[in-house]
Amino acid sequence: MHLLWEELRSAVPLIVHGNPYLLSIVSFTVEVAAIATAAAALIGLPIGLAIGLGRFRGRHALHVLANASLGLPPVLVGLFLFLILVPQGPLGSLHLLITKQAVFIAQTILALPYVVALTAAAIQGLPQGLLSQARVLGAGRRQLATLALREARIGVMAALIAALGSALSEVGAIVIVGGNVYGFDQTLASAALYEANAARYDDAVAIGIVLIALILVLMCAIGVLQQQGAGIRLRFRSAS
Amino acid sequence: MSEKQSDENAALLRCENLSVCRGAREVVTDVSLELRAGELVALLGPNGAGKSTLLDALAGVLAPAQGRVERAGRVAIALQAPDLARRTVLANVMLALGWWGVPGHEREDRARAALRALGGEHLAQRQAASLSGGERRRVHLARAIAVRPDVLMLDEPFGGLDTETRATLLDDAVGALRSQARATLVVVHDRSEAWALADRLLILIGGRLVAEGTPRDLLERPPSALVARFLGFDGSLQDGGELLLTRPAHVALDPAGPLRARVTRAVALEDGVRLELELDSGRLYTVAPLPAPRPSDTVRVRIDGGARFARSVTDDGAAPSPQPALAPAPTVAPGVAQERRP
Repeated sequence: MHLLWEELRSAVPLIVHGNPYLLSIVSFTVEVAAIATAAAALIGLPIGLAIGLGRFRGRHALHVLANASLGLPPVLVGLFLFLILVPQGPLGSLHLLITKQAVFIAQTILALPYVVALTAAAIQGLPQGLLSQARVLGAGRRQLATLALREARIGVMAALIAALGSALSEVGAIVIVGGNVYGFDQTLASAALYEANAARYDDAVAIGIVLIALILVLMCAIGVLQQQGAGIRLRFRSAS
Repeated sequence: MSEKQSDENAALLRCENLSVCRGAREVVTDVSLELRAGELVALLGPNGAGKSTLLDALAGVLAPAQGRVERAGRVAIALQAPDLARRTVLANVMLALGWWGVPGHEREDRARAALRALGGEHLAQRQAASLSGGERRRVHLARAIAVRPDVLMLDEPFGGLDTETRATLLDDAVGALRSQARATLVVVHDRSEAWALADRLLILIGGRLVAEGTPRDLLERPPSALVARFLGFDGSLQDGGELLLTRPAHVALDPAGPLRARVTRAVALEDGVRLELELDSGRLYTVAPLPAPRPSDTVRVRIDGGARFARSVTDDGAAPSPQPALAPAPTVAPGVAQERRP
């Protein structure tokens, strides 16, 4: 307990004084989280919609696969991606290994199942009468997709929150494909791992505190958006 | 006949020998029907008769297993579940107009007009989530009417409502659903809704269209014992080789009546008592005013009407006898004259 308290005390000055290294990894973490979540949303929302709305064969199998992918071990994803990106691998010619792009790709792959599985579940949970009514009154695919996403917006936002959480905190895959190179392609999570491995626990704790604060700020902001999307107004007591 | 009248009577939807399957099971069998402009037709049948399946097939939602459907215009269907989007009522109706392909600048006026027609204009700015069951049904109907289809199909539009709400909505819907340019087919489960709404009735039992005609014709001359039973002819007497089926209204307690019966059950109603009467040759039902006889009392009854069929009621194909259906029934069980117990 004493050690933990000491490390916390040493971590505070590092945060307060705006350590440039810390600021750079905060900036890269936000960049990775934003890009990976956006990419996962771009790829995953149409797939989630197709599973949720579609009537094609294999829809249930696809949903089971998406659900199973939620338990995908990040280290395993990193390992497979590494084997694909090594110079001898199928995408070796792209020279992506130990680059920021590799980090973006790895986090996108890890965030994708959250978007697909939770979006599909949210849409399947909608009252089917509404979607069927839209179909029989002539709604086209785009209209149907818009309706489904709008009606399932709370669930879809939850999917995006889960994806963002994964992109912020997963570390196993990016360490393998990005190399966890000091000050280059480190996220807060991988930097904390780096510092802990080097036995610089005060730095690791400082980074951990910043990561938790960042997660709290981002999740609160999205939570407010989600509640507003649900038509619930947050009421603040105003001092008169 | 003028050209306008001719247009009004044009068949907007026709199906011939239509059979529809759900999975491996044939739910609708060999149905042929026609819907004409200006008509309001009710499709009536017991639970599981295939009404919704037939509607889906007529609207093109389900592919027929056999037969064909011809549509001379656009068909809109209001499904059974009145599920609305999480928006205002007005936005919901406008959304449906968007699905239908109505240009944006026309949507609000048309949505308001449809809500007005169904007495729901005051709901326009309410959130759909705050509506009661009856209000949701009203908006659901307005949404279907607003799109102004050539053929409008409504699947149990008054289902799941309490008696009072249903009566109010029914009153408003009778006017709103009637249009000279449109054919309307309403699936109903309750006979009273069919009488209130329809010019013509289609009766579907076991997936087959077993009767078609005006409500009065079908009630006065049901084409088969099966149809008669479905229309509330629940009393039956064997009369020689014939079967006489009666509705409670055909049977009256009368001290001078020719038949003697024993009361076997008495169920209190709002405005009287429903009596089950046992005779040697069958069982009758009637509604008697208060004070009414009690179970095991013996009464004398008179039969004013009913429908006669040549064969047993257990035979679904029982054909009506040539005798006029509403002719006063003769004494059915001779030698049963007894006094009514006071």
